[in-house]
Amino acid sequence: MAKIQVKKSAVTAAKKVTAKKAASKKTPAKKVAAKPAAGKGPVKLTLRAYNVGFGDCFLLTFEYPKFKRRILIDYGSTAAPKNADDDYMMAIAKDIEAQCTDADGVARLDAVVATHRHRDHISGFSTEGDNTGGVIARMNPGLVIQPWTEDPEAQPKADEATATTFTGGKPDAKAFIASLHNMNRMAGAIAEASRDEHLGLSTKMASQMGFLGDNNLPNKSAVVNLMEMGKKGRAAYVNAGSKSGLEPVLPGVTVHVLGPPNLKQTQSIKKEKDRDANEFWQFAAFWQFQAAAGESVDLKVPLFPAAEAHEVHAIPANVRWFVGRAQKIRGEQLMELVRSLDTAMNNTSVILLFQVGGKSFLFPGDAQIENWQFALSQEPVKEMLKSVDVYKVGHHGSLNATPKSLWALFEHKHETPAPDRLTTVVSTKPGKHGSVQSHTEVPRSTLVAELQKESEYFSTQDLLKSQICKEYEFEL
Amino acid sequence: MPYYPSRKITIIAQDPSIQVGGKIVRTQIEIPNEELEPGPRGYRVQVVDYDSTTNTLYKTVPRPPNHSDDLPADPFATMTDAQLLASPDFHAMNVYAIVMRTLSRFEFALGRRVAWSFQGHQIQVAPHAFADANAFYSPDDQALMFGYFPKVKTKGYVFGCLAHDVIAHETTHALLDGLRERFTDPSSPEQAGFHEGFADIVAILSVFSMRDVVAKVLDPTGRRVMMNASNVTLKALRESILTGLAEQFGEELSGIRGNALRRSVTLLPGQDYLHDPEFEEPHRRGEVLVAAIINVFLEVWVARMQPYIHPDKTLDRKRAVEEGAEVADHLLTICVRAIDYCPPTDLEFCDFASALLTSDWEMYPKDLKYRFREQLYKSFNAYGIVPTSKGEREPGTWDPPPQGDKDHRVVYDRTHFEEMKCDYDEVFRFIWENRRAFKLSEEAYTRVQSVRPCVRVGDDGFTLRETVVEYIQQLTIRASELKRLKIEKPEGMPKDLQVTLYGGNAMIFDQYGRLKYNVGNSIFNAERQSRRMKYLWQYGFFKPGASKMRRFASMHRKRMSGWGQAGGAAVADWTAHEEQVEQPQECD
Repeated sequence: MAKIQVKKSAVTAAKKVTAKKAASKKTPAKKVAAKPAAGKGPVKLTLRAYNVGFGDCFLLTFEYPKFKRRILIDYGSTAAPKNADDDYMMAIAKDIEAQCTDADGVARLDAVVATHRHRDHISGFSTEGDNTGGVIARMNPGLVIQPWTEDPEAQPKADEATATTFTGGKPDAKAFIASLHNMNRMAGAIAEASRDEHLGLSTKMASQMGFLGDNNLPNKSAVVNLMEMGKKGRAAYVNAGSKSGLEPVLPGVTVHVLGPPNLKQTQSIKKEKDRDANEFWQFAAFWQFQAAAGESVDLKVPLFPAAEAHEVHAIPANVRWFVGRAQKIRGEQLMELVRSLDTAMNNTSVILLFQVGGKSFLFPGDAQIENWQFALSQEPVKEMLKSVDVYKVGHHGSLNATPKSLWALFEHKHETPAPDRLTTVVSTKPGKHGSVQSHTEVPRSTLVAELQKESEYFSTQDLLKSQICKEYEFEL
Repeated sequence: MPYYPSRKITIIAQDPSIQVGGKIVRTQIEIPNEELEPGPRGYRVQVVDYDSTTNTLYKTVPRPPNHSDDLPADPFATMTDAQLLASPDFHAMNVYAIVMRTLSRFEFALGRRVAWSFQGHQIQVAPHAFADANAFYSPDDQALMFGYFPKVKTKGYVFGCLAHDVIAHETTHALLDGLRERFTDPSSPEQAGFHEGFADIVAILSVFSMRDVVAKVLDPTGRRVMMNASNVTLKALRESILTGLAEQFGEELSGIRGNALRRSVTLLPGQDYLHDPEFEEPHRRGEVLVAAIINVFLEVWVARMQPYIHPDKTLDRKRAVEEGAEVADHLLTICVRAIDYCPPTDLEFCDFASALLTSDWEMYPKDLKYRFREQLYKSFNAYGIVPTSKGEREPGTWDPPPQGDKDHRVVYDRTHFEEMKCDYDEVFRFIWENRRAFKLSEEAYTRVQSVRPCVRVGDDGFTLRETVVEYIQQLTIRASELKRLKIEKPEGMPKDLQVTLYGGNAMIFDQYGRLKYNVGNSIFNAERQSRRMKYLWQYGFFKPGASKMRRFASMHRKRMSGWGQAGGAAVADWTAHEEQVEQPQECD
């Protein structure tokens, strides 16, 4: 499971790929470690961190002496930047297109990375509405990188997704992916419930629940577009330790996939539980029941329609206190559910480490500790992480996506400006996620303070309306 | 008109998936009789059939209402299965009856009224609380909540409120929390696992005390009169429980929790589970305790059936069923009774083992009829649970307390016998006067948590009067001060972090007001305190927001949804260790 699947490219893209293969033959990626042979690798890397509000969108342009290679890592948004125009996403698409346009007037995007299927990472790939996804597709990305959980061949069939039976046995990739689908289904029910007044949610809680619910809805159009682009070019469904598929695209650059772990890898780091396969099946069954419960129960129709019920406004005084409590419990339960499915989805994030010209760039998507755990259990990986120069802060700066054990590894942290000082960049928008009182606000203030103190920190929230992105240039 | 203290009511014996001949196995149980209000709402249990998912409050009416001292009829006995499943009235009555039954089993075993953990007298029960595969006890809401969810393979719903084991399990959480409020404190994986394990024990034994369920296990077709002796060996019984009951338990309700019954018959004795890292996780650890007790149930049941085996190697099925149900019921009583003999803080399984042996020794010093203690002692050891006390009088039982040392004798003459049976301040005076004899920490905050007089019927038919007292000690100090108490400071714990140490005892006074037992854990027990600190630190309990709120709800949830999620120290996120953190609150 989860090997890279190199699909034969369609006619239009065939030529291009062959050309790239030829280019990569000269310098097989394997032998090119952190130190590339002079003249074969890129000489400059430009990183554009777009202001998508709450979401992620990064364009990496690798400049070689004779050509450029462009990689787009995520393109999604669930909340517009402050004071943004309605068509801010289209403006970004157009800018990406402009950045990718070569001297011959043709826009070429070489690869797209969709770290995971959350809307704030892939909504831009949608072909609905103003069709920003069409703009991306037009650039014919020859490679689409996604986590192993998106592999079409590993997807359960439609009926399997709703009927994973509690059969026990070893953890099974299909059942796991079915659980992710069930989470998507559940998210819809939760998003709907968040708009239901009787749950007595505070405005803030309702809006957060709705936000999380919506972010976890299936993004059908974007998912299909990614799949189509992958079919046209190549699709790589990756897991920790697998090849990224970028080898022919980026000669002289080593790209390591550090996450997500596949099921076997996840099992391998679970010390006390590795022999408990039941637990996995409970998990699968749990989400299946949740999805079924969430979807099949009509919020407006009582379970026993024929039974006599009290009018909503005529609840007897002796049970009013309890009814209020029960509503509050339900609200909290839904919140907890949506948080936990959000976490599970984040943990399918692809984590990429680019090593080029003696510099390292780390893009972990929204990976949280459970995803990181596998990478951080591997000594060689830890060694590589020490020399990270640019860190895309995980999960928009939330408290749980920059494990302290990861942060501790970075050796280029400096309290004062220094030539090799670590650069950190976060794409975020405050006030959407978590709360200050519960120490869960995004971005988390204590994390930001630490990043500011120890690194060259930048947040897309500080961009002005006139600035579409923050651009970095790294001479290699 | 005579007053009838109890009434009979039809319930679903386990859950609708347990059937014989295509019919749901039901049974009639006896519960306290009372005049019920619509709901039904009684003196200890109030069913409020409110569904928060669809925002519906059903008008459930007990039919017929028993507005007299007459013995109420059992209206559900004659209804069809389909009618029962479709009737919210029945659902409400089923859940009411099982909660009441569990409560009265506790009261019977302990010889006194048993309070809920919260201030009120009546627990609220929502039989269709939400469309969700969950059921839990919520102390803050003074409630038991049962969810419902659609079946995945077939049409219809799975109802938590129709599952005997689920109801008994949640009710036990509520009762145990009332008896020992400190058992939900963060302490050790064993204390955390105990609540779940004990609730499972009560649930399983409660289900096995239903004759119809036992009959189903022994003979799934329900047609045989005589059965083969080969069916009543330990191995055969495990097998038939597994195939006849446990799998079905798991099938529909696996969405609510793991299959405790299944685990309890598949975890075989003879292994040191407690030192196996796999069993460090609290729920798994709890399963070891359940397995040890269910093993006793099977051993005793098998032994009890031996005399009834005819020379032709057959035995009467009814007789076997009867014995099984009785053994389960009796063992349930012993287990509940043991709670009074447990230390009030930082409980470990080995303490429960000693408590269990002691409480039974008190009731049946000879252990002749069932030989429960012999089996309990054997079984605990076989599962690696070595009773805390060696036992001067009988292996594993608590020893009578020392009456002080030569400098500090336990003094009784400054307190009054009558007051000692109910007055917290009087009992506190007794403890305070004897603080040196009891080797208490004088700098700790000390509080009497409960004084409970109880009456039990002894073996000789006479009543046995005892008073059960719990007191706790709590000491909040900085981590740097741990050394002074010879407690190890966990690696990496900041010196100025405030930590709270707990100690406390259960004292049992005999009918003359003399101290019969004084069992507990001391703040000065450096070995245990060090272990607790290390565990709490490692597993990230010193984090803000780790509140006690709705802990049972999230505990169940975590068990079901937590696969692949990091736990414990690994979650070194950016909230941890930042500030002085959650300590278990003195009161909510």
